[in-house]
Amino acid sequence: MTDLLSNFTSLSKKQLAELDGTCGWSLSALELAEVQRQFRGMGRQPSRGELETIAQTWSEHCKHKTFSGPVAFRAGGRVKKYKNLFKETIVRATRKLNKKWCLSVFTDNAGIVQFGKSGKWGLAFKAETHNHPCAVEPYGGAETGVGGVIRDILGVGLGAKPVLNTDSFCFGYPDSKKKLPGNSHPPERIMRGVVEGVRDYGNRMGIPTAAGGIYFDDGYLLNPLVYVGCAGLIPVEKIAKKVMPGDLIVSIGGRTGRDGIHGATFSSANIEEDTSASAVQIGHAINEKKTLDVLMRARDLGLYNAVTDCGAGGFSSAIGELGSQTGARVRLENAQLKDSLIEPWEIWVSESQERMILSVPKARLAGLEAILKAESCDYCVLGTFPGNGRLLVTHGAAKVVDLPMAFLHGGVPNFEKPARRRKVKISAKKPARPAKSYGRILKAMLAHPNVCSRHSVINQYDHEVQGGTVIKPMQGKYGDGPGDAAVIWPQAATLDLSDFSGFAVSHGFNPAAGKLDPYQMALHSVDEAVRNLLCVGAEISRTAILDNFCAASPRDPEVMGDLVLAAEGCHDAAMAYGAPFISGKDSFYNQAKDAGGNEYPIPISLLISATAPVEDIRKAITMNFKEAGSSVYLAGVSRGGMGGSVYNDMAACGNNFISPLDMKAAVRLYTGVLKAIKSGCVPAAHDVSQGGLAVTLAEMAFSGGFGAEIDLCDAKREDGLTPLELLFGESPARLVLEVVPGKEHEFLKLVRGLPVSKIGCVRDSLVLEVRDAGARLFREDLSQLKKSWKRELI
Amino acid sequence: MKPKAIILRGTGTNCDIETFNSFKYVGAEPELVHINQLLSGEKQVLDYSIMAFPGGFSYGDDISAGKIYAVKMGRLSADFGKFIKDKRPVIGICNGFQILVKTGFLPENKANAQVSTLYTNDCGHFVAKWIKVRINKKSPCLFTKGLPDEIELPIAHGEGKFIIEDKKILSDLLAGELHAMTYSENPNGSMRGIAGITNPAGTCFGLMPHPERNFYAWQNPDRPAAAREALAAGCQFFKNAVDYVK
Repeated sequence: MTDLLSNFTSLSKKQLAELDGTCGWSLSALELAEVQRQFRGMGRQPSRGELETIAQTWSEHCKHKTFSGPVAFRAGGRVKKYKNLFKETIVRATRKLNKKWCLSVFTDNAGIVQFGKSGKWGLAFKAETHNHPCAVEPYGGAETGVGGVIRDILGVGLGAKPVLNTDSFCFGYPDSKKKLPGNSHPPERIMRGVVEGVRDYGNRMGIPTAAGGIYFDDGYLLNPLVYVGCAGLIPVEKIAKKVMPGDLIVSIGGRTGRDGIHGATFSSANIEEDTSASAVQIGHAINEKKTLDVLMRARDLGLYNAVTDCGAGGFSSAIGELGSQTGARVRLENAQLKDSLIEPWEIWVSESQERMILSVPKARLAGLEAILKAESCDYCVLGTFPGNGRLLVTHGAAKVVDLPMAFLHGGVPNFEKPARRRKVKISAKKPARPAKSYGRILKAMLAHPNVCSRHSVINQYDHEVQGGTVIKPMQGKYGDGPGDAAVIWPQAATLDLSDFSGFAVSHGFNPAAGKLDPYQMALHSVDEAVRNLLCVGAEISRTAILDNFCAASPRDPEVMGDLVLAAEGCHDAAMAYGAPFISGKDSFYNQAKDAGGNEYPIPISLLISATAPVEDIRKAITMNFKEAGSSVYLAGVSRGGMGGSVYNDMAACGNNFISPLDMKAAVRLYTGVLKAIKSGCVPAAHDVSQGGLAVTLAEMAFSGGFGAEIDLCDAKREDGLTPLELLFGESPARLVLEVVPGKEHEFLKLVRGLPVSKIGCVRDSLVLEVRDAGARLFREDLSQLKKSWKRELI
Repeated sequence: MKPKAIILRGTGTNCDIETFNSFKYVGAEPELVHINQLLSGEKQVLDYSIMAFPGGFSYGDDISAGKIYAVKMGRLSADFGKFIKDKRPVIGICNGFQILVKTGFLPENKANAQVSTLYTNDCGHFVAKWIKVRINKKSPCLFTKGLPDEIELPIAHGEGKFIIEDKKILSDLLAGELHAMTYSENPNGSMRGIAGITNPAGTCFGLMPHPERNFYAWQNPDRPAAAREALAAGCQFFKNAVDYVK
């Protein structure tokens, strides 16, 4: 390998590929050729450190080459060309919407929107994935995923205080019958490891983990998805950051070791049998907690000019990013280490956790050191930001990197990727009549892994630390009803006990729809996220969203086709709901080989995370029925199509059509419903999503300890809808509302002209009975329904 | 004058700010103080009239929950001992309770030795949920005065199983009604379902549940809260301490 390195500029294509494989860079032939060309131009051989720096900086993980690259999309004989797919879809919607309350979008480590009425605060929100590490080492991968996204919030602007963690997971079915290759973990082990990692890290950080979801599909058997999110509060005057020439480079928090070498490049490739677990970092939450405590105090005292986190690529990308204008002079011998055998280039690219890089004016160093010592937090001064635009990294007398910043950040070549629409057979014929009774189907559905209770997982997370989780993931009379969105009152960040401003966070996720129609999946996911926010009474006209795409190998044109369609869906949904994307992330190469050597790609998976303000957290509402005698209303039109439904997963009914979403009608409906919620007419709202209307009604009933008598005869519906579709279809833009008896008249005035209809009453008797025009569809005891639903997932 | 409350921090303390806010709300003047500031002599515990050990994972709960923090307090045990002997109110919540147990301040004993422990929950892992607890009306505990027989509070801990090995100490504790709070349904396997204990003076109190998380009615999972009073049961714990020293 040393031979290859010292003759780099004269290597053949084959030799370059060999070197890339040995060093684990995951660079393409085109990229390797470009590096070679650059060094030929400089008239010298590169050092290992320089090649490592380039591999990190140009990795898919850091540069997002696929999503921000050119694509040619072919569908129905026509070709649509994109120069930069991300900019021309997702970013374009945000630019066109141009919302004044967006304070920072797509530029920093997280997006920031205005928070509260005072004008003093911004809310930073970010979601990340940590899929590849969790496939190899679930516990460590999940821990460091949580740690990483928290550092994104600590590293946005001059640092935000984290007030909420979110987590959404995708696993293979725990009882999957598929045969796995020898090197993979069974899905149950992955699930346990991931949950324990999130628990141990999040709980120790003192940040409530209060929103998210778990989704099962055998497409995730070999590639679990672990989406981790974090939201934090930042004073608006602390959003801008700028490295000043002459500032010191100070690393605070954890020490540097050999864990996590090549994390960025390894997650830019498919997982193979020999993938090394040393690419996964080792987490230590308490180090990060110290870092958080130091940072918040130092920020308020103005002790540094800029900050960013050490994530993928370690020092090389954090310092490279901060110094992209000024250059950086780094002396690696000053780094605090946890491994004495580490090579200089390894110090430079190690992804050891819990490190933040600060840009500190020399005169402020003493003040910062005093706080670091008071909090027992490790730190080291690594060098300076000189202002000459050059990256010079040394270790003692040895030169590790000496390159112009412009080459690193501008040089990456990109090439057009072909994309085409996946061929899927869609059948819109009448669904087959079920063999089982509707009551039995409902009970089976409530026990389905994608519907059943998550209490055994949620109970392991400290979802109420900071005392601000006002709407909890589990709610209702017994504290176990499945909430639609979390509402946070960030008293621990604002310290203002008379300000009742809060924010809600929710998600939308539907890969089952994505397998059939990626465009509709994106619309449905945004709709679901917004509807979940509505269900707690959040100000949905101020919704901000995050996109997190996970996909298989982008070398497959059909995977790229899925991506193009979903990205176009994101654009259209953002425009229709007036909900700008403020940050996003993508993860590709979620693909592995199974025992038979067959490729196992994940389905296109788009997690929409949404947040909206809650004007007065005291008035936010929950999903359980509150009072016998209340009326039950269904808002929205039920439409045909069982595509992507839980029902089809249990027993395919021959219909896999996905009803297209009428977004304009949805926005009109939600605006009216929000007025009704705010006027105090609606004490409970719950969305119709996985499992359909029957599941929604059952959950509202058993979470409140009230039964209901329902007759769907007046429910707005498409002509010819079968009872099966009405009960278990998952057509979007619908929610169930409880309306207080004395306020029904006021409620009806507020929703006049909208598809909202009374479907029944809340009752004291603990029975859920559903009829359609008098004919009984089912009648079930709540205790039986709840028993089916309240399974121990873990 | 507002009574000064010292809210003790350390590496890994994480319920400090909401505990601070709770004392502030009921009219105290709280201050966050890191154990390092006490050890360096920068701050003195005897300058305060109320003391709180908030929840969290002090020093990662390495070795066992609260142990390292308790060891760090060792050098200052004379000051802490005097604070308690002076009958100034002390409350340890969750990790704070674990610290008070590991220091030997609770249950109170002449040797100031650790005579009980809070061990890993029977289920084997961290549990966060809302539970009901019974208030022992016969207890001298000042923090629980005026509370109804049963209240709701959330718990959030991995090591909450209260154990006393010595039968004599346990029977003394029960005879003195020092078990100020018990679980209505035992969530962790604690002996006698004990959720919180006090010293005989009633001034030093440790409990696993989190009163600062049921301070306002809108923190309850069963809503709507707006229809009810603004304050919830947890507020009383903090108010009692402030009323006592006033």
